Amino acid sequence: MAKTPKDDPANYPALGRWLMFLDKKKNVDRIVYGLYALCTALFLADFFYYKKVYMDLEKFPGFYALYGFFMCAALVVCAKLMRRFLMRPEDYYAPYDVEAEEYPEEDLDRESVND
Amino acid sequence: MIDPFPPFLIFLIGAAILPLIPQGNLRAAVSLIFPVISAWLIWTMPEGLHLPVTFVGLDLTVLRVDKLSTIFGLIFSLAAFLSLLYAWHVRDTVQQISALLYAGSAIGAVFAGDLITLFFFWEGTAIASVFLIWARRTEGAYHTGMRYLIIQIASGVILIAGAALYFRTTGNVEFTNMSDLFAAGDIGTILIFFAFGIKCAFPLLHNWLQDSYPAATITGTVILSSFTTKLAVYSLARGFPGTEILIYIGAVMTLFPIFYAVIENDLRRVLAYSLNNQLGFMVVGVGIGTELALNGTAAHAFAHILYKSLLFMSVGAVLFRTGTAKGSELGGLYKTMPLTMIFCVIGAASISAFPLFSGFISKSLILSAAAHDHYYVIWAILLFASAGVFHHSGIKIPYFVFFAHDSGLRPKEAPWNMLLAMGLTSFLCIAVGAYPEPLYNLLPYEVDYVPYTTTHVITQLQLLFFSALAFTVLMRTGIYPPELKSINIDTDWIYRKAGPKVIYWFTWVIGSFYNWITTLMSKTTERTIKRLYRSHGPEGQMARSWPTGAMVLSIAVLLGASLLVSFLV
Repeated sequence: MAKTPKDDPANYPALGRWLMFLDKKKNVDRIVYGLYALCTALFLADFFYYKKVYMDLEKFPGFYALYGFFMCAALVVCAKLMRRFLMRPEDYYAPYDVEAEEYPEEDLDRESVND
Repeated sequence: MIDPFPPFLIFLIGAAILPLIPQGNLRAAVSLIFPVISAWLIWTMPEGLHLPVTFVGLDLTVLRVDKLSTIFGLIFSLAAFLSLLYAWHVRDTVQQISALLYAGSAIGAVFAGDLITLFFFWEGTAIASVFLIWARRTEGAYHTGMRYLIIQIASGVILIAGAALYFRTTGNVEFTNMSDLFAAGDIGTILIFFAFGIKCAFPLLHNWLQDSYPAATITGTVILSSFTTKLAVYSLARGFPGTEILIYIGAVMTLFPIFYAVIENDLRRVLAYSLNNQLGFMVVGVGIGTELALNGTAAHAFAHILYKSLLFMSVGAVLFRTGTAKGSELGGLYKTMPLTMIFCVIGAASISAFPLFSGFISKSLILSAAAHDHYYVIWAILLFASAGVFHHSGIKIPYFVFFAHDSGLRPKEAPWNMLLAMGLTSFLCIAVGAYPEPLYNLLPYEVDYVPYTTTHVITQLQLLFFSALAFTVLMRTGIYPPELKSINIDTDWIYRKAGPKVIYWFTWVIGSFYNWITTLMSKTTERTIKRLYRSHGPEGQMARSWPTGAMVLSIAVLLGASLLVSFLV
């Protein structure tokens, strides 16, 4: 399959064609700005309702927001550092592992929309 | 007629008659009937102990029906149905039969009232499921299947050893709450705990899971993801509720797989790591052991089987159409596989516990139970793990497969049976999330919990959207690690690389010593033989026939010598 020269969006399913606005960088930026706005709103929401929680820590405004943001950032940075020690080439365990093998073709049904 | 009819028998009957039906749509359709009958049987079975059997002097109970076994039996039947629908297109008798036997064994095990019956089904799941890996029919899959089988069978052997010791202590083999004996340090119970721990993928015992699930066939992985580990969770909930060490084991289980999941390239392996992480939540629930926590474990197992199958199905559909499930090779598939993308996002939202999706109403039971019982550090770890699972399963999988950079692949949408299976599973994920009462009614204890409160919804949304924000910021600043064609070594490195290396080294040392000794010995022997040959051989000094003159001369010398001696003395 794959990179056929005559790739034609007319062959895509209607839903896929409609979603193609995601290909434009401008629209992606809009979604990202939307996320920023949503996050701000959620953070500020903490000041406007009675937070019924068990722990004092949770009462801290925006606790969940900050915890989610910083822990995730830490997660990614740590994981990235782990790569230095753990990463190996794909055929490291070959031939005793499937990682370097192709998936058997007879069990696949590769079809391209452009065929 | 056996009354009540044991649901596992339906699957055995199914496995026996399925090969008689010609391969094709009819056989695929017939295979779907068995899980439906099984679910109906489970639904209508009266609670209590049924089918007592005496086997080699032991009192066994084949069927023990209560709310805990019923909910697991039902979700196993449902999972079998959805997986078989997803596998409608498969024309491989081996996979069809092993799927039925596997589901049947798992269902048999959750209704087992004693440890011996449990053992039989425990090994049944191991043996039936390995064929789903071998069915890939490659050299790598063969070796992976072997490793899987050795570990699974070992778990069963440890279980039966534990059961034997348990029988010596208690005089029966009833499968019941063993936490007190475990706390007292009974060795039999510890072995049983260990056997459950292997199947449940406890930290350091976990790697069979990440090793084998990505090696199975496309449909095989979906089936594998539902049964083995959840059977282990059920067994822990039955045998060891309130065992405190499980809280810490579970917390570690939620934690370390998320780091691996971030850097793993094979997306089915990413899902295997996140499966491990989700099991951690359930194990924590068992460890806390309160009614709220055990309800949480059962509810989370139910929800988890659905959304995890859904995620494996969507990645499997992509693999089916493109031939790869690696993040580094995929991207931009939303254009031509939009429905698969939507189903994947629903699975992702469910595992991430977005409000209105199934994870939201199940995971929160466990988190609340942890906070209620003042396990604050555990609660914080679980919260971190919840954010982390959103990060890799919720964002990473859909993002790198369907969005990110355009891989140029333009595969067709998944076939109808996969779409239907994914659609049904998606519907169930949303239905359970939006309207949790029917699920709550199935739980082992009375539920006094309201998931949809303003606080819970807002705090959860904060956690998730700020995790998404972290992902976006890291992605846009280029800090996020790219998907690379690679593998990451895990604890299996010990027995796949280090172990063989150590054995190789030992054999080298011993071998060299042996060679040195034998060479030395053979050389010495050879030299001795040569020397002896030189003196005693046909040409040797000792073997020479001496001439008569020499004899006369020696006698003359001898005579002279004796004359000299007699003259002198």
